[in-house]
Amino acid sequence: MINLLRAEWIKLRTVTMNWVLGIIALAFPLVVALLTAYFRGDDTGFNTLTTRDYVGVLTGTSVVSALLCGVVAAASITAEYGFGTIRPTFAATPKRLHVVLAKGAVAVGFGMVLATIVQLIGWFAGSAIADGRGATMDLAFADTAVPAMVGTVLLTGMMALAGYSLGMITRSTPAAVSILIVWPLIAEGLVGGLLGLILDDSDVGRWMPFQAGIRMAVLDLNDGGPTRLAAGIYFGAVALALASLGAWSVNRRDA
Amino acid sequence: MITVADLTKRFGSKLAVDHLGFDVRPGVVTGFLGPNGSGKSTTMRCMLDLDRSQSGTTLFDGRPYRSLHRPLHEVGALLDAGYVHPGRSGRNHLRWLAASNGIARRRVDEVLELVGLGSVGGARVRSYSLGMKQRLGLAGVLLGDPHTVILDEPANGLDPEGIRWIRDVLTHLAGQGRTVLVSSHQLSEISLMANDLVVIGQGRLIEQCTVADFVDRHADRWVRVKSPAVAGFASTLSAAGGEVVAVDDTTLDVHGLACEQVGELAAREAIVLHELSPQTGSLEDAFLKVTAAAQEYRSAAMGGGA
Repeated sequence: MINLLRAEWIKLRTVTMNWVLGIIALAFPLVVALLTAYFRGDDTGFNTLTTRDYVGVLTGTSVVSALLCGVVAAASITAEYGFGTIRPTFAATPKRLHVVLAKGAVAVGFGMVLATIVQLIGWFAGSAIADGRGATMDLAFADTAVPAMVGTVLLTGMMALAGYSLGMITRSTPAAVSILIVWPLIAEGLVGGLLGLILDDSDVGRWMPFQAGIRMAVLDLNDGGPTRLAAGIYFGAVALALASLGAWSVNRRDA
Repeated sequence: MITVADLTKRFGSKLAVDHLGFDVRPGVVTGFLGPNGSGKSTTMRCMLDLDRSQSGTTLFDGRPYRSLHRPLHEVGALLDAGYVHPGRSGRNHLRWLAASNGIARRRVDEVLELVGLGSVGGARVRSYSLGMKQRLGLAGVLLGDPHTVILDEPANGLDPEGIRWIRDVLTHLAGQGRTVLVSSHQLSEISLMANDLVVIGQGRLIEQCTVADFVDRHADRWVRVKSPAVAGFASTLSAAGGEVVAVDDTTLDVHGLACEQVGELAAREAIVLHELSPQTGSLEDAFLKVTAAAQEYRSAAMGGGA
């Protein structure tokens, strides 16, 4: 398995698109959060930055990074089918589920490491900048800050798993990426709203899979929806179910 | 040794491989021939478990492919030189392949040098010509120093030097006692390098034998006669039961008569001969004759308009 993990890591890091998406996923939340720390860190103004505000910006923008990591994960398998490299891959490792496992581990690991780096740099650099501007940030000021930051890391891993699974099922980069982006951003809102009307329950939308997953990165969850833990378990279960379906499909169909 | 038995692959209603069975013995190059759409590539994919066959088995030295722990050390396969990510360098393509089977990184540089791509190993594959991709694919085949080699159309896109090189490589590998199965549409190449043939049509085995036996059994035989007096001699040959075709003013091709018969007729008629030689058709002729009934895609005759 170590050999396979090495092979998949070489594949991931030797494609330029993955670097570009990785850099954007890393830079986007950091740039937005650090600029926020810089421009709103002055405590002489009425719009003083609070720890809660800052972590909210950091975790909120990190959802975009999570989606981008999902795209990288999806492309890690769809590109193999697109360019035909899945055949030498399975010729080199006939036990397909081993490949599926190694590829998934690398994609999820890539996302979680990247998200951890974003949260750590975002927090330490942001609080240093805010301190320099006269504002004081302390995680003790916001009891949900650390859970939200940890939740962001988990969300990124699950989003990568979901993207990878969609890639295994569709075998098409446009299809997998479209579903990954359009479903959480548009379709779930529509479906959730429609189900809310039919079931006469406005909370049902919060149980849509991706919306539930995104709740892991949200600071304030006092809206009657699922708790951070429940939302995480629910979205994780959906991602695992998709992964199982994808692995079954990859194993069963012609390469 | 490769043993294929009762292999069947269906794509929807289309039966691509139909209870196919053959053996490939070590120490010789075996040509895998068949018309377009006959199921050669599908067979190769099924042999490597890339396509899931409906029935049948393929054993490599007695073991199915999926049971091989590090297959690149045992079976090297090149099914399509295009199965490479264009944005990845040739060296990195080989590196992930090597890593997957625990092959040392230095072996990557060795095989790149071996196939003549040492100086361009760092360039992205999108800048490679088809011939360079074929060489890269062959480098991947040689990576694990396997004792079985399977190649699908390896000479595609290669220049004459490359074609000769690949022929030399394959005959060298076979000479070392390895099992080599190679499909190609370039029958002249197959005739130069292969000892054995597996010929299929419409997914079924048509014939498995040596190249010499195949040509012997199926190619036409005739006698070539060169003489300054062919005009009169043609009627003598026809009267003796020969089918005569005039090649030019001094040359005849005679079918249906043995060399000895033609010689005796010439002696009896006191005709001077400049050449009297037995002729045998090529592998291509034999192949076209044998697979005529199994041709799925036929070309229209040129110049035969209304």
